[in-house]
Amino acid sequence: MTSLSEEVLLVVKKVRQKKQDGTLYLMAERIAWGPEGKDRFTVSHLYADIRCQKISPDGKAKVQLQLVLHTGESTTFHFANESTALKDREAAKELLQQLLPKFKKKANKELEEKNRMLQEDPVLFQLYKDLVVSQVISAEEFWANRSGGINNTDPSPYNNKQEVGISGAFLADIRPQTDGCNGLRYNLTADIIESIFRTYPAVKQKYSENVPHNLTEKEFWTRFFQSHYFHRDRINTGTQDIFSECAKQDEKGLKTLVTQGVKNPLVDLQSLEDKTLDEGYGICTTQPSTSNANKSVKDSSNSAIIKRFNHHSAMVLAAGSRRGELASDQASETSSTDGNSRDSDFFQPPVKKVKLQEAIEFEDLQRENRPKTVPLNLKKSDRYAHGPVPLQSQQYTTSQDIINSVNYIRHEMASYKPSLTQVLSSTAATSAIAALSPGGVLMQGGAQQAINQMVPTEVQGELKHLYVAAGELLRHFWSCFPVNTLFLEEKLTGHLEEMLQTAYSKFQVWQTRRMMRKT
Amino acid sequence: MLELKRTLDAKGHGVLEMPSGTGKTISLLSLIVAYQRAFPLEVTKLIYCSRTVPEIEKVVEELRKLMEFYTKETGESNNFLALALSSRKNLCIHPEVSSLRFGKEVDGKCHSLTASYVRAQHHSNPNLPVCRFYEEFDSVGRQVPLPAGIYNLDDLKAFGRRKGWCPYYLARYSILHANIVVYSYHYLLDPKIADLVSKELAKKSVVVFDEAHNIDNVCIDSMSVNITRRTLDRCQTNVDTLQNTIHKIKETDAAKLREEYRRLVEGLKEANVARETDIYLANPVLPDEILQEAVPGSIRTAEHFVGFMRRFLEYLKSRLRVQHVVQESAPQFLKDIFEKVCIDRKPLRFCAERLQSLLRTLEIADIADFSAVTLISNFATLVSTYSQGFTIIIEPFEDRTPTIANPVLHFSCMDPSIAIKPVFQRFQSVVITSGTLSPLDIYPRILDFRPVTMASFTMTLARTCLCPLIVGRGNDQVALSSKFETREDFAVIRNYGNLLLEMSAIVPDGIVAFFTSYVYMENIVASWYEQGILENIQRNKLIFIETQDAAETSMALEKYQEACENGRGAILLSVARGKVSEGIDFVHHYGRAVIMFGVPYVYTQSRILKARLEYLRDQFQIRENDFLTFDAMRHAAQCVGRAIRGKTDYGLMIFADKRYARADKRGKLPRWIQEHINDGSLNLTVDEAVQLSKHFLRQMAQPFRQEDQLGLSLLTLEQLESEEMLQKITQIAHQT
Repeated sequence: MTSLSEEVLLVVKKVRQKKQDGTLYLMAERIAWGPEGKDRFTVSHLYADIRCQKISPDGKAKVQLQLVLHTGESTTFHFANESTALKDREAAKELLQQLLPKFKKKANKELEEKNRMLQEDPVLFQLYKDLVVSQVISAEEFWANRSGGINNTDPSPYNNKQEVGISGAFLADIRPQTDGCNGLRYNLTADIIESIFRTYPAVKQKYSENVPHNLTEKEFWTRFFQSHYFHRDRINTGTQDIFSECAKQDEKGLKTLVTQGVKNPLVDLQSLEDKTLDEGYGICTTQPSTSNANKSVKDSSNSAIIKRFNHHSAMVLAAGSRRGELASDQASETSSTDGNSRDSDFFQPPVKKVKLQEAIEFEDLQRENRPKTVPLNLKKSDRYAHGPVPLQSQQYTTSQDIINSVNYIRHEMASYKPSLTQVLSSTAATSAIAALSPGGVLMQGGAQQAINQMVPTEVQGELKHLYVAAGELLRHFWSCFPVNTLFLEEKLTGHLEEMLQTAYSKFQVWQTRRMMRKT
Repeated sequence: MLELKRTLDAKGHGVLEMPSGTGKTISLLSLIVAYQRAFPLEVTKLIYCSRTVPEIEKVVEELRKLMEFYTKETGESNNFLALALSSRKNLCIHPEVSSLRFGKEVDGKCHSLTASYVRAQHHSNPNLPVCRFYEEFDSVGRQVPLPAGIYNLDDLKAFGRRKGWCPYYLARYSILHANIVVYSYHYLLDPKIADLVSKELAKKSVVVFDEAHNIDNVCIDSMSVNITRRTLDRCQTNVDTLQNTIHKIKETDAAKLREEYRRLVEGLKEANVARETDIYLANPVLPDEILQEAVPGSIRTAEHFVGFMRRFLEYLKSRLRVQHVVQESAPQFLKDIFEKVCIDRKPLRFCAERLQSLLRTLEIADIADFSAVTLISNFATLVSTYSQGFTIIIEPFEDRTPTIANPVLHFSCMDPSIAIKPVFQRFQSVVITSGTLSPLDIYPRILDFRPVTMASFTMTLARTCLCPLIVGRGNDQVALSSKFETREDFAVIRNYGNLLLEMSAIVPDGIVAFFTSYVYMENIVASWYEQGILENIQRNKLIFIETQDAAETSMALEKYQEACENGRGAILLSVARGKVSEGIDFVHHYGRAVIMFGVPYVYTQSRILKARLEYLRDQFQIRENDFLTFDAMRHAAQCVGRAIRGKTDYGLMIFADKRYARADKRGKLPRWIQEHINDGSLNLTVDEAVQLSKHFLRQMAQPFRQEDQLGLSLLTLEQLESEEMLQKITQIAHQT
């Protein structure tokens, strides 16, 4: 199983696994461990399969690293080299920390996708339960057959999923804690980092520029928290700060946002006034902010805070809506800039019209002139579209016939005269009514009870599951033809047969159980 | 309607207060339009004045609906012409001019393309650019009147584009024969504009001032002037330019100056006035104060006038060199100027007019550059015309920074009735209306008119959709107040923060919080930030804050609405008396709660305000405190009223100051708010307020259907026609 072409990134010797000494290899795509003296790996995990790594607390005697896989299994490595155990473990951990996220995304995406498909499609979920969970076929095979589906499915349902936004207070969640010796401790979680990156793309850019070439991750975040960027209330002066550039970028972003103007004319304060008084007229009492010279430091720091809050909120809001409407947003943005640059009239009126109409209309004054409709609520649309139709010699009545008969009946009714002498006796009448009411003699045989009323629902459900599962298996079976690879042949002769057997036996079990229940 | 009809019948003036969202605009429009149709000779025109551009457009849209209804019901289209008028910036369709950002630039550029001498030069030199839209309008646009219909700003523009006519001049021309004109109230109140635009409007018009709670300030603003050292410096350069231009012209075209002189001698001003594009600058004083005489000889020649201006300028400069605050009346100022530099009152009065004539003669295209000298000349005219109701205050420095010299000369109008008087005198009915006009009796007093009707209406509600709460104490029983003494108190600030925090946790969607002033808000935000309160609030909602920059605030506002829209919820921190509190509505989920931190008193230490208060006391017998409270409460009501815009809307109104509980404050709130304050909610703690709000919000969140309102606050046609219901309505009407 060793493939020498793989790039080995780290080799750690004297690592024990299951009480066996061996060597741990971290390679480009997987982590592997081989027992000492043998040149093959007994443990090998693709990074993509690893969910997370755990390490033993610092104080413990055993220095361990545990890998938890997506399947739930875990592998524990014990670093046994006494002198350098801790260092070895740290090295492995650091490397894994950098490697895992890269693969994680890919794996996660697939997993998420599968998960989503299962959740959204109850039939598929049931099939999965019937076939995979009861171990008729393996999960890979199940998905292999579906994979065409995964890739081909229209991405639109995926987009329907709501993005989870960012909490407005994510920076507040990083409460600094004093660690007792004149220092501060910030707790960062992956979520918070994600939030910071999504909200402040500038920081993300800095991160990818500097980590890990110039700074370690820890250093990066330390600097981040020390920077003026984070504490925006202090006036930033330092130019050595790597985040000062971010601040500038933010400022620029804010400016472009401001110059872009607002699309809703009702909130555009600049064009609100019809006639601003010329400079010099009116009693504009005091304008302390216009003259920058006499602005105290405190004032400007206050306004910096205000600016920062506005910017922060705008960014959080933008990050929340960014992904969902990336395409549409960009389209509208470009159109808006185009519109603004040349002649805003062509672009503005629709928005303005709509807003104006909204503003002057009252919902409760509108007359409801359409009759109330009951929305059609279909639980199973396929049944609505094509249900089982009993075969009958069909007789069609033309509309002319119907009209004729209606006329005829009307005529009959008009000329109807009760002949009270020739009525039935009351006993005969009651018995006739009894016979005609549900449960009566005449009502039993005539009305065919639908099959779905005769069989209890759970039996129906089971039968349906078995049917679908068998269908799926047959699909697997047929998809093996033409048999042109060894694998297919093997699949066909070997385990497919087995599978069908299993399925059949399952059906058998169900049948007997049903019989038992019946008797 | 009843009251309005009474007003119209009596041909008098009226003051009406009606809650917002109850159909104030449409009832005014429909009655006056009906009146116009019934008595076309009694009322010829409706002039509807509103405050902001969106509001103007809203009015026109409602009018359009009304007219559509008329056509639908009567089956015939009536020949009403209604149009909106706005500044060139909102109406220009010239590709180059309309792309300019600021109104002033647009005006200046427009003037440089359409002034009569520019057009005259264009005849001899076709390369000179002119505005083809104006040319087209001028040649054919006047013969055919605008076809009947409703024209909003965009409709005017579209019409102008189709015909190739200038929409601005078309609109200005058309208001003379339109049945309904909708524009901003500056067009009637500011003499500088009113003289140009509204001079020839018929006397038999009904004027409606909507959103008029601030009308006195508009009047005052339009008559006041501030002069700083920078103004004087710029004025100096202006005067120099004028001098140079005169020299140049004298060498090349002395005849032109002689011609002007001759005209001035004969008082032939009128001949020029006919050309509408030329009167870019108008006299700052009211029409009846302008002297109908020839310009006095001392400033008749161009050089003499420039010399005169120079002298006046030097005098002002010397006045600005003072070391202490000076306050004097207009006559004192005139006396002083006569003694020091021998400038008489009469030439001063003609200053503005003389400058206009000169600028026109010199064919200066870009008048925007000469704003400084125009300002000075306007000041000269104003100060020499009015001896009453104005004051001059010269401050060598700002109060907060006594070391930095920044001398300002405030020439401030203290009597709003001066600017509005011609409106009351000229038009037969003037209706002043707003959602918040309480207490009603003060408006007639400060505007000096006698209304025939004064009424405050309330809402008939199917459910109590507003919940005013007065929070007077924090949870720790500290009295909450924005009083000057406790302003910096940490306990108060913390409790305010707590209130906002707790509210942010229970109120859905949007919360708007108003502070009393910008400085106060900055301080509170800073200390909330230090105490970590803001971070906790951020857990619940996003925070947006009004800044002094309008563009930035617009962006914050839009983001705020976006956040309310997508369900995240947001808080907008804003300032009473700021732009947000005046012009932006927070309908439905945009504002589920409004919190008013403190009582928004005006900055009382300002000398201008003190002078005005003194004047009010002497002239109108209004006590200082009464006026200050009135002013504060109308702003508070205005802020709080932003949240309720209709009967289906609902919102909390939280007054976070214990002073609101006092009868003199509470009594000055509009009736429709007052009647929902019960005695139990006068002095709540934060916790109690939260409990009440929770209850209220839960109740309001229940579905509210049309059927619930029917018969109570909403009537069907059948109900309206039934006898029983009519009796009920009259009963309610009598109660009020």
